[in-house]
This record gives sequence, structure tokens and C-alpha cells, in this order.
Amino acid sequence: MNHALFKQSLMVAAVSLSLTACLSNEKQDEKVTINKNPFPSTYKILPQQDTLFTQATVLTGTGERIDNADILFVDGKIKQIGVGLNATNVEVIDAQGKWITPGIIDVHSHLGVYPSPSVESHSDGNEMSSPNTSEVWAEHSVWPQDPGFQAARAGGITTLQILPGSANLFGGRGVTLKNVPSHTMQAMKFVDAPYGLKMACGENPKRLYGSRKQMPSTRMGNVAGYRAAWAEAAEYKRAWNKYDADYAAGKNPLAPVRDLELDTLMGVLDGEVLVHNHCYKAEEMAVMIDIGKEFNYHSGTFHHGIEAYKIADKLAANGNCVAMWPDWWGFKMEAYDMVEENVAIVDSVKNSCAIVHSDSSTTIQRLNQEAGKVLYRANDNGFELKEEDAIKWITANAAKSLGIDDKTGSLQAGKNADLVLWNTNPFSVYAQAEQVFVDGAKVYDRFDEKYQAKSDFLLGQK
Amino acid sequence: MKVIQINKPILNALVTIPFVLCAFITSTVQAKSTAITHATVYTLAGEGTIENATVIIDQGKITQVYSSDNTPENINTDEIIDAKGRILTPGFIGSMNSLGLVEVSAVARSRDSKDKEADITFDASLAFNPKSTLIAYTRKGGITSNIVAPQGGEDLFAGQSFVVDLSGEFNSVTDRQNAVIVHLGAETKGSRALKLQALDYKFEDAQKALAKQALANKSKDKKAKEDKEPKRDELVINALLAGEKPLIAYADRATDLLALIALKQKYGLDLVLVGASDAVLIVDEIVAANVPIILSAIDNLPSSFDSLHANLSNMAMLTKAGVKVILAPEGDSHNINRLRFDAGVAVANGVSRIDALAALTANVADVFKLNSGRIQVGKNADLVLWSADPFELSTKVDSMWINGKSISTRSRQDDLRDRYLTKSDMPKAYSK
Repeated sequence: MNHALFKQSLMVAAVSLSLTACLSNEKQDEKVTINKNPFPSTYKILPQQDTLFTQATVLTGTGERIDNADILFVDGKIKQIGVGLNATNVEVIDAQGKWITPGIIDVHSHLGVYPSPSVESHSDGNEMSSPNTSEVWAEHSVWPQDPGFQAARAGGITTLQILPGSANLFGGRGVTLKNVPSHTMQAMKFVDAPYGLKMACGENPKRLYGSRKQMPSTRMGNVAGYRAAWAEAAEYKRAWNKYDADYAAGKNPLAPVRDLELDTLMGVLDGEVLVHNHCYKAEEMAVMIDIGKEFNYHSGTFHHGIEAYKIADKLAANGNCVAMWPDWWGFKMEAYDMVEENVAIVDSVKNSCAIVHSDSSTTIQRLNQEAGKVLYRANDNGFELKEEDAIKWITANAAKSLGIDDKTGSLQAGKNADLVLWNTNPFSVYAQAEQVFVDGAKVYDRFDEKYQAKSDFLLGQK
Repeated sequence: MKVIQINKPILNALVTIPFVLCAFITSTVQAKSTAITHATVYTLAGEGTIENATVIIDQGKITQVYSSDNTPENINTDEIIDAKGRILTPGFIGSMNSLGLVEVSAVARSRDSKDKEADITFDASLAFNPKSTLIAYTRKGGITSNIVAPQGGEDLFAGQSFVVDLSGEFNSVTDRQNAVIVHLGAETKGSRALKLQALDYKFEDAQKALAKQALANKSKDKKAKEDKEPKRDELVINALLAGEKPLIAYADRATDLLALIALKQKYGLDLVLVGASDAVLIVDEIVAANVPIILSAIDNLPSSFDSLHANLSNMAMLTKAGVKVILAPEGDSHNINRLRFDAGVAVANGVSRIDALAALTANVADVFKLNSGRIQVGKNADLVLWSADPFELSTKVDSMWINGKSISTRSRQDDLRDRYLTKSDMPKAYSK
């Protein structure tokens, strides 16, 4: 198309648009739009200090290890990593003999929604009243005073996704938080992190609803439930698209009736909400991948993928991240086929995205050691993995799964200064986080009580 | 790789080699005399840690422990294993779990650890399955024996614990009904006070019954004697009163712990506490009453109002004060082999290496009266030769012996891994 013709066609289009508007002869009501961020983050960076760490062993999270490295962060962002850096007007911390990694990220936590103490009044992690509760948002259950947040911070956790439980086919939205102390959830919210949608395969949904004599009571019932929901969501999305198109065309269409459940599913179909699917077994993950293709969404990250090693190629080819434990098993039939090298086998395939997650208020405090177990057991059995590989499972790959890898998860110039100073190799059983930084602000210091937060709940307890 | 030298005549060697090969298939070999030389031996006994030591095992027992100075030149054993300086420890002892009673926690028909009807006489050892896939997996953690604790039912008492070795053989149960389990503290329905009262009354009533029985025994009326014969459950209470078996009490809040210590003093009980997260508030009382504590080193969250003082530093505080501590796993029975890592975390939080090691070996043996847990002449030859520091994540079990028999740590998990790492044009089901 040449330039003149293009201009002409634009003019015609403009004329026809206004004609349509005139012809419809309708006064347009105010456009109905969905506010996709009704609980916006109020996070503010804690007091920060530009800092230069010197002479550390650095695992960047990008697969690289740099010995005797200096790291400079300024205004909460990583500015430079290298050997023999110079900087003025910054705090200099001698990190010789110590290790620095990106801040640790847990993609699967229930801190705040199943907090300590685990009293009935705080058991807010799973709205089990229906197989599909896509309308609920975990963030509305988060109790920011959960002492588990501080314990996790002492273990180097800087970012974590809080998910609803796994009793339902669709458990609701997860939220990504920065692990900073706060008395509101919004002030912990990771700005611009996409929402997650918790889905669950297998035993949990069929056991719970089956025991209530309602669907699903079988795995095939589970799948029928997912598909029915996606079919409905596709219709809902079509209705909104039509409304938007008609409105844009100057008509005065009636907006579809808001449905909070379908809003979330439509978010997935639009690629704005990421799927986080509790799914243990190889054959079930394979089915979930196909459902994603059937309804044109991405099947996302599989959580607790105990059998991921059986289909590592398929998962990588489809671009699924898989979040796994190093060794939990046997609590359910679907967790029977554990192998300690699961994470390493998934990781060994090109374009894979292997993650170590906790799903535990205890192991989240030592996610580095959880990854370490995989590293060493795999190397005992023929793998040749290094620390710089293993760190990705709890940093960069986790960030990718949460859709925040452009901001955190690796030590690269321009990324958030989320990092951990360790007393030794972080994959040692004796490793302890000495200092933890979020956006260049110190949020934890093992040797300085000033940086050891304490929950309201624990204050004044004798 | 371990070096196995055969220093007996060739005939013997021909017999021995197939056995060694069999170790990789059947996981056990016949007991034979073995010398483990050049080991760094953590004896957990008076000798402390001995460098360059030699340990001789024969007929399932430790028969000699030589330091480098007094090691004889010629060692006449069926095999000699050169430890090359690596660490040899007593086999670790797990406790307070359902090993061998539960295969898959959520599969009801693979679960034998509890029963609504269970009472103080409940002996779950009858249900112990030495062929459970958990056994070999647990061996990976250097665990050679275990105290299995039933979870009980509606009764005050959860039943009695028993002792197993991890040989995987049908004769694994080595001691039955060796301690009584009771759970105290916060109640979902009702008050904690009632259980403490009930416990007190049990002992008080039993003491009275014993007194009456003593009287009846003096009388000539045969019928009166028979009437006073104690019932099975009463016999167990009597054994507790006689200090013949420990009372293992789960409790966390300081008031419960103090109430239990009072019961110990009133009735002369052999009391052992489990959990006891408030113990740090009453260290002096615990030390004075000489009560051992079984705890998880990694349990540091205020999971209830009973455990507001759970902390990673608790174990260090208790061991430094002289409390005998046993490390037990958190959670269910499938990952007991993580215990050694818990010990590492404990060390990172201030516990001495020897105290941490004792918490997995000698202390368990002392509390449950086992002939193991130390590398000492006469003890069961339950031993582990480690690739390096036993607590470190990068370390693995190089060799282990249970009752003097070498045993593999290969488990079903290894079979699954190998199947899926084997390249084949055929379906994986053909890779075995």
C-alpha cells in the first residue's frame, strides 16, 4: 500500500465511523470498564543506603559465579557487579569469605493465610465452599502479622507468592508480596506483579467434593470441571470483547453483567493472570497442558510436580515452569513416586524452568538448603551441577514463574537490589543469611536487633 | 569408592565376593567379621573422638575399638574396609514417628498407627512392616534403628512405642511396648486440666490397688487374691510406677511441663518430654528433675498459644544447661532421613557437634535402654561410614552396618530415577 492510498483509506474509515455513530443515533452511556487493580500496592521502599559489597563470592542467578566480586547498588537498583569496583559516598561492606545471592523467592507460600499460630480464626487459606472459587483473592486473607514472614526473612526470602489452598479446582487468586514488615497487605504488594490463579489437580478436589456427594468425585470429574469453567470464561470474554467493540463503534451496547469468578478466568485468557497449578502426576500435567491449548491460555507453572521428571521434555517444550520439593513424599498416593533428583532432571532439559518451592512455613526458612539437597543428590547420581546452577531454582526461575523476572531474581545492572549476604556457601547446612536487602533497603541483619522485625502478636508475650 | 580388601584364604574370598555383589541386589549380606580401619571414630563414649581408629565387628557386635597406637599389625577379619580418614559414627536412631506403620498417609488401608479403640495396651509393633518402602529411604539418612510411636485413639494414652532396626528383615522389631505415650496440652474440645487430673488419678488409683493387692497376697483367701489380680492396662500403669518403662509425654506449655514434673516426683516416674517448646522458661526445674526432652531442632514458629517460645536457639540453651536432648523429626515418617540436617541446623544455631550427634545416638539409647548409639565394645554393630561431615547436605552414607551386616541404602526412589534416566526406544515400563 502506498502512502497516499493509506491516507485515503484512513479518511474513509473515519467518515464511515462517524456515519455509523450518526446512523445508530444513540447517545452512549458511560463506558463500563473493569478496574483490574482495586487494591493497589502502597509499598514504600524502607530507608535505603547506597552500598558497595566487596570481595564476595557472587552467584548472579543467571548461571554465573563470580569470585572476589564487588556489588554496587544505588537508589535500590543494582548498578554494577565486577572485580575491584570503586564508588564514593556509599557504605562499604567487606564481604570477603561470604557469599551473595539474589534475594530468595518462594513461588508457593501460605504465610499470612495459614499463619502461626494456626488458630481457627486465622485459618483463611482456602475457600472450600465450591469447586470453583476463582472470585476469591488470597490477598484478602493475608494477616501481615504472621510471625512466619520474619522467620522467612531471616532465611533470605525477599519475595513470595501467597496462594490459596488446593481443595478446589480453582482456588482463587494468588498475590506476590515483598517480604517487608507491614500492618497492611497492600504495603507488601509487589508493584506490577501479575496475579496468579491457583488451580488444583488430582486427589484434593475429588476427595473433598466427592465426600460431599457433589462433582467432582473423580479425576475425570475434575477435568470436566476445568473445561466447563473455561468454556464459560471464553463466552464471558467474548461478551466483553463485543461490548468493547460495539462501544468503540459508537453503539450504546449493554455491558455484560460483572462476574468476579469469570473476571479472574478471563484474566488468564487475556494473558494477564498466570496459572499456578497444584499438580503432582505426569499424566495429569499432560492433560492440563492440553486444556490450556484447547482454551488458548498457557498452563503456567505446575506446583508440587512430584512426577515432573517423567515428562521433563514435554514440560520444557511447552514452556511450563515446575515448582518442586527436594524430597517430600508419601503423604498422598499422588506423592508416592518422588525422586530426589526431580528438580535436576527437569532442569537438565533445554528451555526448562525448574523451581524449588516450600509450601511450608518451616522449609521456606531454608529454601537454600532445600535446593542444596537436590544439587548434591543429583551430583551423587551422575549430574554435574554447580552452585551457580542451583541458585536459579530459588531465584531467577522463580521470578520467571511469577512474571517478575524483569525486576528481580538475578543480580544484574538495573534489577532491584534484592539480595542476601550469606556467612558461607548457601548450600551448606550451616549457611545463615547475615543481611537481607529488599530494593537496597536492609530488612534483616542477624547481628543487629534493629533489623529484626517482630510481629504485633509476639509483642509482650511472656 | 570404598576399598574392600579380602585377607582370608582364596576359598573364603570366593564365597565373600558374591556376597558383596549381592549387596547391590538384595541389600544385605551375611554377618561376617569386619574391620573398619583408619576411621575418624565418633564413639559417643568415654573415648570421645578417635582419629585413625580401627573398629572390629563380629557376630553383630562391636568387638574391638583400637586407637591408632594400639591397632594390631595383623587384623584377622573376613574383610577390611579402609575408611581413609572418613567419619564413622554410631547408626542414628529415629524416634517418635510411624515408620513401618504407614506407607501412604492418605491411604487409609496403608495406615496402622492409630485406632479409635487404642488404649494404653496398644501394641502397634504387630503391624510393623519391615518391607515398607520408607525403610530403605530412611537408611539414606544414616538411620539404623528407630523408636516407633503409635498415635492412639480416644483414650488418654496413645499406646506404647516399640523399637525396630532398619534391616528390612522380618525380625526387625527388637523391643516391644517399651514406653507409654500420652498427649497433653491444648484441647480442641474441653480443658487441658482434665487430662492432667486423669493422669494423676490413674497413678493414685493404681497405687491404692497395689496396696490392696499386697494385703490380699498376705491373706489365705485364694479368691481374694485372684480378685486383686491387676488387669492388662493396670499392669502397664504399675510398670510406669515402678519406673520400668518411661512415660513419654507430649506437651509444650510451661504449666503442663511443670505439672508433669510434679507427677514424676510424686510417683517416681521415668518421665520424658516431647516438644516442650516452653522448656526454655523452666530450664532449672528440668535440669533438677533430670528429664530428657525429645524435640525438633527446626520447630521455631509459635504454632499455638502453647508454643510461643519455640526458637531455633532452644536446643542449644537446653544442651548447654545439661538437659539430655533427643532430636526427632518434624512431621510425618517419610522424611526421617532429614534428621541429620536438622542436627546441622542445630549446630548452626549454637549446639555443639557432639551434643547434636548424641541427640541422634547415645541419648536415644540411654532413654530407651538400647544396646546401641555408641561405638563401644559389646554394643550392637550399627555403624555408618560417611563420605564427610554427617550433618552436611553434600555428605552421603558411604557404608552402613546394621547388627554387623553391611546394608545398602538403595531405595525405590533410586529405581524410579534410573528408569527415567535410561534412554530407550521402548516405553519406560520395559526399563527395570
